[in-house]
Amino acid sequence: MENAVSVNQLVKNFVLKKRDGLRWSSTQVKAVDGITLAIPKGQSVAFIGPNGAGKSTTIKMLTGILHPTSGDATVLGCIPWKERTRLARRIGVVFGQRSQLWYHLPPRDTFELLSKIYEIKRDLFESRRDMLIERFQLGEFLDTPVRKLSLGQRMRAEVACSLLHGPQVIFLDEPTIGLDVIARQELRDLVREWNQENGVTVFLTSHDAGDIQHVAKRVIVINHGRVVLDDKVSRVRRQYLREKVLSVKYADTPESITLEGVKTLKESGHAFKFEVDTLAVSIERVMTEIMRIGTVVDITIEDPPLEEIIAHIYSAPRVDAGEEEPEEEESEEGAT
Amino acid sequence: MNWLTSYLNLAGAYIKINTKSLLAYRGAFISQMVAMFINDFVWIAFWCLFFTRFPVVKGWGVNDVITLWAIAASGFGLAHMVMGNALMLPGIIMKGELDSWLLYPRAVLPHLLLGRSSASSWGDALFGIVVYAVFVKPDLPHFCLFLALICSVAVLFVGFSVFTGSLAFFMGSADSVSTQLRIAMITFSTYPSPIFQGFVKILLFTLIPAMFVSHLPVSALRHMSMTEALYSFAGALAVLIAGVIMFYTGLGRYESGNLMEMRG
Amino acid sequence: MSKYFYIALTSIRSKLAYFREIGSKTIFLFVVLYIFLCLWRVTFAETNQTTLGGLSLKQMLWYLVVTESIIMSLPPIATLVDQDVRTGTLAMQLVRPMSYPLNMLASTSGERVLSFVINFIVGSIIALMFVGPLDLQFQGFVMFLLLLPLSFALDFTIYFLIGLAAFWLEDTTGLTLIYSRMTMILGGMLIPLELFPEGWQQVLRILPFSAIVYGPARIFVTGDLSLFLSILAQQFVAILLFTFVICIVYNTALKRVFSHGG
Repeated sequence: MENAVSVNQLVKNFVLKKRDGLRWSSTQVKAVDGITLAIPKGQSVAFIGPNGAGKSTTIKMLTGILHPTSGDATVLGCIPWKERTRLARRIGVVFGQRSQLWYHLPPRDTFELLSKIYEIKRDLFESRRDMLIERFQLGEFLDTPVRKLSLGQRMRAEVACSLLHGPQVIFLDEPTIGLDVIARQELRDLVREWNQENGVTVFLTSHDAGDIQHVAKRVIVINHGRVVLDDKVSRVRRQYLREKVLSVKYADTPESITLEGVKTLKESGHAFKFEVDTLAVSIERVMTEIMRIGTVVDITIEDPPLEEIIAHIYSAPRVDAGEEEPEEEESEEGAT
Repeated sequence: MNWLTSYLNLAGAYIKINTKSLLAYRGAFISQMVAMFINDFVWIAFWCLFFTRFPVVKGWGVNDVITLWAIAASGFGLAHMVMGNALMLPGIIMKGELDSWLLYPRAVLPHLLLGRSSASSWGDALFGIVVYAVFVKPDLPHFCLFLALICSVAVLFVGFSVFTGSLAFFMGSADSVSTQLRIAMITFSTYPSPIFQGFVKILLFTLIPAMFVSHLPVSALRHMSMTEALYSFAGALAVLIAGVIMFYTGLGRYESGNLMEMRG
Repeated sequence: MSKYFYIALTSIRSKLAYFREIGSKTIFLFVVLYIFLCLWRVTFAETNQTTLGGLSLKQMLWYLVVTESIIMSLPPIATLVDQDVRTGTLAMQLVRPMSYPLNMLASTSGERVLSFVINFIVGSIIALMFVGPLDLQFQGFVMFLLLLPLSFALDFTIYFLIGLAAFWLEDTTGLTLIYSRMTMILGGMLIPLELFPEGWQQVLRILPFSAIVYGPARIFVTGDLSLFLSILAQQFVAILLFTFVICIVYNTALKRVFSHGG
């Protein structure tokens, strides 16, 4: 299948100048150090890594904002930094921390303006806009000034805006940052649907392990400007995302828990923090046990933070894949 | 031609949305306009007082100075009513906000400039036209030439703002430098031009091109001289071209990442 | 009294952080003084006079140094009071063992004095370059030093009053702007009162604006004793009058605060 994005030995060096009294010293910093990858059309990819790993720099090169030091890349057949405006008509970009909506005006006005920026024909614009309004459920706040919208509503409008010109690839940089659980889930569902039903290639960066699991099929981890892991999400989940953290508060002192795959991380008074290895024991089984040993007042289940998972990738030897039971999305084509 | 209509359409769309956005806070918008109006008016009052005592200064009378203020204020106002981001350029460059503008399928500079309208500029623009009509009482040809010259001065101010703003691509703290250049430009362009002689006069035709606001347009209007009007346009165009070259040279540096701080 | 002095000192110290501002002030003063040097030079030449309104070219430029320094040193008094009224800080201040108006006077005056000194030094250097030293009379300088604090105090009372208007008005920036522009034009910032039309002069000598800007500057360059006395009287009367108005307004406003709970 044709690739939407292909990157070959992409390198970006920055020259950092520092002033030391009167003297300037400059050091070369490798932000991106030879990244090679190929993303087939219609795939959804999560691009993750710690701060300073080179994620933003890579996205900036793929969208034509930055010129690379060396290496090649094509996005939809365009060389981004040479054919920036041509490419811009065919990709959509959402920065979670930077809005393209007009703050004092309703989203409808931003749609209108975008149709002029992208020179979308009137009838095509109207039909696309109406379709996005319906799919993203923007109807109820389409005529409310953006400053009065909730963050969740705003991000829905934001993503819809980036789809108005019918891009074939969308880059989402931290789209769920600051959203509450429900808004986050809504947005994930929308992006996944758009990916699956419209065949749009999705390129997502996030700090939230949940985003990656729910939206992406493939995960690429980069660190120090290099790809350190490139695999299916399903497999990564089994290897690295198998732990869950359960925080439980009891009404009084419970019996002690003895279950294989459950580790007590912290304990203070009647509150406990357990780490559960979901491969060794099912969440359901653990829950039953937790309820059995005492009266539960409060309980939360969380994924471990992404930083921890990435640290894990470095420290833990990889569990041999393939021996696990097959999962439903096994049949997709090639990573790398 | 296609290119031109496409960008005129874009300008139209931005003027519409900018106006709407300003009107979202009608009270603040109007009070900023009125404030600018009063501010400009104080200067007219000063010149009226001055010329009551000294009726002619190097051939300039009170009408010439009022014409000058009208052209300068309207030109400056028009420039930043339509292209308000020209004033914000250093900040946009230094805060990395250029990225968002690079993601649209449009030429970066014109698109970026259209992105904002400065509220107080509306006051300037309106002030100039009202003052010219009320105090100078021009006939139709003069008024038409006046309107054309406003456009020329607007182009000049945009060009100058882009030029000084683009310094941010090359220097760390360009914000204060470009603000000071801009203040010098505005101040020099609001006094009768014949009082400046020698080296400063050359400076005002080149590095701080105030003569293309104060000297040539006023003279063109006084004599209904098309030659002088054309010189004004030529000067404005030259400054704009210099600004555009400066911006795109700087953008090259930006795209190569030479002034970007390291992030993710 | 010493605590207010301390407040003024602290404010000076914090102001020292803004040394960057001096650069931009220098450029602005340089441009303005240069332009007026050109303008006055031409005007003197064309009228064939050695003095205009009793001032020589040199005195005219030094006059401008003082007026610009006074105007440019203005701290945002009205804005500060306005904000304190709206945020309820003023009501909070009342519990403290110090008077809110005096506190405000001390803190803004410290700032203003320092700012004036900086502007004045920069302006003097530029004027020295352009027209050389003023033959300053010791007596004139002393009179100037007496008038200046009163000029600042008078300016303060009016801005403070405008700030208090925030109790009744939705927005005081308009009033502030109008007053500040009136000080500039009617106070004789750019041209001394003597050059105004005859009829205006009579009125302007009574209004408070000239006591703030024109008075100290004119005394600085001429050292005229009878003018000094009349400006001093004008300042005293105006300050007393505005202080009286402030007392009434302030107490009315405070009653409002306590009956409406802020």
